[in-house]
Amino acid sequence: MEKQLEKLISLHDLDVMIADLNRKDIRKREADMGLHTEGALEELRELREEYCKSINRKWRGLYNQLTKHYGNAVVPALMGRCSGCLTRLPTAVCSDPERNLKIHTCPTCGRIIYWAD
Amino acid sequence: MKYTVLCKFALSATSRTEVIEELLRLFNIGERARGLLAGALDVREKVGATIVHSGIALPHCRSILVDKLTVVVGRSETGIPWPEEKVNTVILFVSPVKVNSPQEHNKFLGHIASRIKKSGDSIAAAGSEAEIITLLGFQIEEQGE
Repeated sequence: MEKQLEKLISLHDLDVMIADLNRKDIRKREADMGLHTEGALEELRELREEYCKSINRKWRGLYNQLTKHYGNAVVPALMGRCSGCLTRLPTAVCSDPERNLKIHTCPTCGRIIYWAD
Repeated sequence: MKYTVLCKFALSATSRTEVIEELLRLFNIGERARGLLAGALDVREKVGATIVHSGIALPHCRSILVDKLTVVVGRSETGIPWPEEKVNTVILFVSPVKVNSPQEHNKFLGHIASRIKKSGDSIAAAGSEAEIITLLGFQIEEQGE
């Protein structure tokens, strides 16, 4: 898998983790289980800042733009479709065995696509 | 809520990172995706160890790398440093990122929390896969709720 694509997926999962710990219901549940969420949230935000620096400016910019617009910037391709907007992706790209070796975006919504190989 | 439950007794790993990797090997995903998930779970552990009961750890996250909630229950006879406290039972789960998944994730956390509150000591001392799965209210097979 292309390194920058891996980093974008990890950034997405990190953002989900931060968003979850920002949710009152999840935070309360985790706190009830004895897990420390307050300090964790701060640390995760700092980690995110650091992590972002390792991502190419072009992809980081696109990621931020897509996240702002849709809430999610990276989505898996499912049955040849973008799982963000359900547009059918080009067959040539979907059938390419090296499709994860470069970053592809959905021709309709622009989200970053990866294939779960 | 649909989920898949897997179980591995007699873990060979001896550290937190190794245990997470060993349990993720049971996931039906590619090698690279597994590495990325291990990274995400490791980050979560580094900012706060997920020990939820004496002897029980609950590493968990949501990720776009899985398409359905997957749980793996692992057991170590010798115990694993997590890292300040030793645990012998690890309940690792990863929820997908979908529209309603924060609620589903929270609901599942609530289910595990109630089971641990009710029978935490029995779960930590369970002697077989079947027993631990029953105590957690899971079934080994894929199921719908």
